[in-house]
Amino acid sequence: MAEKRERYQNRIELLQGTLDMLILQTLQWGPQHGYGISVAIRNRSGELLQVDTGSLYPALHRLEKQKWIAAAWKISENNQRAKYYRLTATGKKQLTRERSKWSQLSDAIAGVLYPEER
Amino acid sequence: MSFWRRKKREAELDEELRSHLAMAAGERAERGEDRKEAEHAARREFGNTSLVKEVTRDIWGWRWLSDIGNDARYGMRMLLKNPGFTCVAILSLALGIGATTAVFSVVYGVLVNPYPYANSDRMVHLVVHDAAGNRRFVNLNGPQLQQLRQASSVESVAAMDGWNLSTTGGDLPEDVQGIYLTSNAFNYFGVPMLLGRGLLPSDGPDGQDPENVAVLGYRFWQRHYNGDPDIVGKKIQLVHKNYEIVGVVRPRFTWGDGEVYLPLKLTADPVRTVFPMLRLKPGVTRAAANAEFQSLLEQFAKQTPSHFPEHFRSTLEGLNDHFVEDIGGTLFLLLSAVALLLLIGCGNVSILLLARATGRQHEMAVRSAIGAERSRILRQLLTEALMLSFTGAAIGVALANGLVKLIVNWLPEFSFPHEAAISINLPVLWFSVGLALLTGIVFGISPALQSARPDVAQVMQSTTRKMTTGLHGRRIHSLLIASQIALTLLLLAAAGVAMQGFVRMMRVNLGYDPHNTMSVGIPVHDNTYTTWEARGAFFNQLLKRVSAMPEVVAAGLSTNATPPNNGWEQRLEISGKPSSEEQRARINFVSPAYFTVLRIPLLQGRVWDESETLRGAKLALINQSLAHQCFPSGDAIGSELRVPQLKGEPPFQLAVPGSDGWFQVIGVVSDARNDGLQKPTKPGLYVPYTIMMPVFTQILVRTQVPPLTTLHAVREQIHRIDPDQQAERDVRDLDGWITTQPEWEQGHLVATLFAGFAILALALAATGLYSVISYTVAQRTGEFGIRMALGAGRGDVLLMVFRSAAMSVAGGVLAGVLLTITLNRLLARWIHGSSLDALILVGVILLLVATSGLSCLIPARRASSVDPIVALRYE
Repeated sequence: MAEKRERYQNRIELLQGTLDMLILQTLQWGPQHGYGISVAIRNRSGELLQVDTGSLYPALHRLEKQKWIAAAWKISENNQRAKYYRLTATGKKQLTRERSKWSQLSDAIAGVLYPEER
Repeated sequence: MSFWRRKKREAELDEELRSHLAMAAGERAERGEDRKEAEHAARREFGNTSLVKEVTRDIWGWRWLSDIGNDARYGMRMLLKNPGFTCVAILSLALGIGATTAVFSVVYGVLVNPYPYANSDRMVHLVVHDAAGNRRFVNLNGPQLQQLRQASSVESVAAMDGWNLSTTGGDLPEDVQGIYLTSNAFNYFGVPMLLGRGLLPSDGPDGQDPENVAVLGYRFWQRHYNGDPDIVGKKIQLVHKNYEIVGVVRPRFTWGDGEVYLPLKLTADPVRTVFPMLRLKPGVTRAAANAEFQSLLEQFAKQTPSHFPEHFRSTLEGLNDHFVEDIGGTLFLLLSAVALLLLIGCGNVSILLLARATGRQHEMAVRSAIGAERSRILRQLLTEALMLSFTGAAIGVALANGLVKLIVNWLPEFSFPHEAAISINLPVLWFSVGLALLTGIVFGISPALQSARPDVAQVMQSTTRKMTTGLHGRRIHSLLIASQIALTLLLLAAAGVAMQGFVRMMRVNLGYDPHNTMSVGIPVHDNTYTTWEARGAFFNQLLKRVSAMPEVVAAGLSTNATPPNNGWEQRLEISGKPSSEEQRARINFVSPAYFTVLRIPLLQGRVWDESETLRGAKLALINQSLAHQCFPSGDAIGSELRVPQLKGEPPFQLAVPGSDGWFQVIGVVSDARNDGLQKPTKPGLYVPYTIMMPVFTQILVRTQVPPLTTLHAVREQIHRIDPDQQAERDVRDLDGWITTQPEWEQGHLVATLFAGFAILALALAATGLYSVISYTVAQRTGEFGIRMALGAGRGDVLLMVFRSAAMSVAGGVLAGVLLTITLNRLLARWIHGSSLDALILVGVILLLVATSGLSCLIPARRASSVDPIVALRYE
């Protein structure tokens, strides 16, 4: 029980809207299926960001609806039929926009939190 | 989104999530976990699969669809579980929506979209009003029509003339309504043909004899040729002339109620007139056009004074103007009646839903406790309401289909355009869909709002499922009942007024005896009997032949005098008195036997004899009204009067020389109705029919047997005198003449429909009251049990139940009486010649109170027969 709570405290809640950016960023390196995306985000965040499937799949379907990513069924490396998502041209533009917005935001927050470092 | 695409996406989502789980489990297994353990762990990590699916599906934006499906399924189950409730609710709505749809389809057909013609809103008739306000259509001769075509406000002018033709070459000549049209007329109407072609300009070139071609009316084609599809190219013989049939018009083309349409020859003959049909230029107002036509018509009146009243005002009339005036009020009256009926029906459903909502409080509380949102419950309840209303609307439309046919049969025959297509068509269906939506929301919203906010704690804690309605609910119930009663009272009172008015009209003293008498119309053909002597001899021979028939008691001629709406209203001059514009009388051209046939008593003097008739003696009888008005001292006999406008116009109106001179009054007859069934008898003047003979006459025939049975024999007699001469096809007895008076038909329509609607309203209101009382009785069973256990008698309980209803009924009656008195003026204007009296009001109140009492009695008896032990144990 105590261990579980520990894990929860270590995990960082994703900020609203950042999941979309992380998915787009992950697909930047090539097409990937839902499970692969969640693993990639977890690994690259040093196990800190745990993507909830209840958020991941709605997000994927939402991004697909907005035509930022496109999906196709393929056979995975271990012979599993899986739905692979890839970044579209408009998705790439969206990623650039979100990245610049994010760096502005983190700069701004840093400025508030650590004024002396400026 | 199609159902199948959605199914496919669901399957894909399933597979996507399955592959996720498989991969997660596979990776764990690779790391060395036990296969089963790995699958469990992956599943645990994944979370609630169906929740993930649900939130993902939300993204597709189709959730509302599946929700509606669920709501509908659930609603259907709830409705089927309470068949009694469902049937009453649906029936209440079906009656309301059905009646409203039926009346609306008549309104739509007659007032909104009556004509199939192109730009019919700019089509107008030339009408003049004389100094006394009488309306008269303008007829123009050929040169005048050509001049009218140059007027700056008209876009196009066509013209028509009508003659009764007869088919020849067969057995008895059959009467055919012939309409002659200028060759541009079909262009003017702008309607497609059913078969063949319309009349073309080449069929009637200016100044030449037109081609012998004919276009058939749809109904004539059906009747005479059984709808023969190969009719085009065949011949039809009319008055010995062969015409080639070139086309058949569509069913809605009924211009002039024509049976055959023939090309018209416009001539320069000043006395031969035609009826002009105009289309104004776009943007030209009636006022501007009238101003132009006023001076034009005044110029025409100088050329042909007898075609115009002495002083007149040009008033253009749109095609539908006169009908709107005739029947618009009646239709709106009926529409408001059915709207009331619909409101009462909605009230019923509201009452039922409210009662049921209280019963379902427990269910709603449970749903709300396990997390249903308020909007979700609201939607569920509205879905149920809409299911009720749409089912009601579907049944209602089926009912309306029957009712429309009934109403169309009862519509006053000449008070609506015959072009109107009155049926349940697409716009009408849209109207009922709208009605269903509206009613569903109107009656569903208040119960839904109330039960979507259940007080969970209170409801769940209460040990019993039966709870008495809160004060708020009871108040709404009483309010609904009271308004139902009030509206029903209004409808009943209106029905009473309409019925009383109609009965009064049926009992009116006619002043003549219509029984066993018929009027046979004889339309004289163009270019026949063109001299006064010839036509007089022909008419006399007709009369002699028919009088001599063994089954005929008496026969008379009444050129224009068949009651109850007869005579030609003209200005009158009396010798020795100053002439005035107001002194008018209705002039009737009759034979001496006219008074015998109709049994109109002669009060003073004598009737002219046969020889006087044959020579066209200038003698006159006047009716009592004229005698009272002009000769109050009783010195009418021997006085002299003249009608300045009484002039012949050969070859159409053949008058005796000096017909506009002085006539000697030789007798006074009793008043007989001559201005319809409701208005007082107008001053009337009777002169020998030979004074002026138009191209039409009527023989009045009194028989021993029902007169129409002798009609064929009469036709044969006419045929023997002139083999081409037909009698009119539509012959009625004088009772039939009464029942085709517009006021009779209108009164009949309004009285019957109002009576029907009022009975329905009464039944609905009684059902509503019954439901409420039964429901409260059921809710209060326990209470009654306790009271009776403590010593209350059956009478006390009975009284208690009645008292609970009495307040709302009394309030409703009071409100209804006030409403009726307030709206009485409106009612009196639209239901002609009737007014509310105290007797009707008292009768209606008694009827309503008695019905209410009856609907309370059954549940009240149930309450009083409750066995206290059973009632208490039932909890």
